[in-house]
Amino acid sequence: MFLALLTSLGSGPAPGEVSPDAILVQSLLQQDVNAFEQLYDRHSRTVYSLVLRILQQAATAEEVVQDIFLQLWRNAASYDSERGPFVPWLLTLARNRALDHLRLKSERQRRHEDQTDELPSVAAAPQYERELDERRRIARVRALMGGLQPQQKRAIELAYFEGLSHSEIAERLKEPLGTVKSWIRNGLLRLKEGLQTAS
Amino acid sequence: MSNADQFRELIEAYALGALDPQERASLEAHLAAGCADCAKALEEARWLVSQLAYLAPEATPSDVLRGRLLQTVRVEARAARLAKPSSSVPFWMWGAIAALLLFTLYTSTETIQLNKQIAQTNAQANAEIAKRLELEEKLALAQREAIILTDPRSVKIPMAAGSKDMPKLEAMWHAKLGIVVAGQNVPMPSGNRTLQLWLIPKTPGGKPIPSMMVRPDADGKFMLLVVNPPDNMQSTKALAITEEPPGGSAQPTSRPIWVGAIG
Repeated sequence: MFLALLTSLGSGPAPGEVSPDAILVQSLLQQDVNAFEQLYDRHSRTVYSLVLRILQQAATAEEVVQDIFLQLWRNAASYDSERGPFVPWLLTLARNRALDHLRLKSERQRRHEDQTDELPSVAAAPQYERELDERRRIARVRALMGGLQPQQKRAIELAYFEGLSHSEIAERLKEPLGTVKSWIRNGLLRLKEGLQTAS
Repeated sequence: MSNADQFRELIEAYALGALDPQERASLEAHLAAGCADCAKALEEARWLVSQLAYLAPEATPSDVLRGRLLQTVRVEARAARLAKPSSSVPFWMWGAIAALLLFTLYTSTETIQLNKQIAQTNAQANAEIAKRLELEEKLALAQREAIILTDPRSVKIPMAAGSKDMPKLEAMWHAKLGIVVAGQNVPMPSGNRTLQLWLIPKTPGGKPIPSMMVRPDADGKFMLLVVNPPDNMQSTKALAITEEPPGGSAQPTSRPIWVGAIG
């Protein structure tokens, strides 16, 4: 397993291979504390960074991160490695939990509760996903998003980090609804194309 | 533009959670109708959206959080191990051990014999230590259960059964020490299915939060201890127990057998 972990620092597993993360998650089903520790050390910074960005408060962010990892520990069977890679699944879970917390805190009417309370559906990684390791991926995503118009990037960030809808973003930015929809769709497509090119 | 193309244009915003309710409902209906192209596009879009996480400024959680989490999972792992029946040494292994001992008696020098004795003593000592740690852990959990059950600060939550054939249960929730649910004369779930505890949030429309699982013993008794509930008492409206497949579920797959309102 140690060799597999070293290998994973370079690139993701080839098609048909089981990723180190998937092996570790599988070990959680046998209550393997060591596997949990490794998963936490591999991903807690990314998860915490995301949750802190959404909640803007360190103590609350740590509470939510604790919930996320305990949910993973107690309900590891909910992740199916055959349906997609682990990290996007974990990040989706983290975002959902953090946005739920944000909405509860502000007592705002839940707008898409059906999506956010459930465990995330597994995101399928396209072929190019395997090619980028995390450090390169961070740089690439930031560079691509930095290349968007500031308002366009802001619209996507409002949707992703604050959970706002098209209408809410249009109201916040005082821009026409159609413009906001185009910004978001075109921005995400540019990100997708850029990641494909990067591979 | 075809109908499918119109829906295809909504996929990225749907994965982002940015669609307004009407558009979201129509796209969900389209997906439910079985459009394979849109379903595949949605899987890719979910991955794409997850990459936005890397826009967050990098930050590091405290060591306190790491320690707290590891402490919790260690306690739960030990509790799970204690709940399993202990494995016995296979018969053939005793034979192998005996053969090894005979061989040692005939061939080893006094030093080897001494080393063997030391190793055996160490193994016994380690086994005793492990046994003692297990007992201490078991005792600590039992003490915790006892405090939760007797502390006047614990909130008593009677859990009524939906069926007359089922016994009533009782839960006690201590804000700092956790939840204990006790049951007697509880029928064994069918096959390998398990009973699972859920926390029902006060938030309107909030989904049940999954918690620990338990199966009653041969006498129909169980004692479920939740050391670290997934939510706090102030945010929870009720506790419920359902029967779920082995390993539990993320969301209930059957109607609650017991429900107990808080407060």
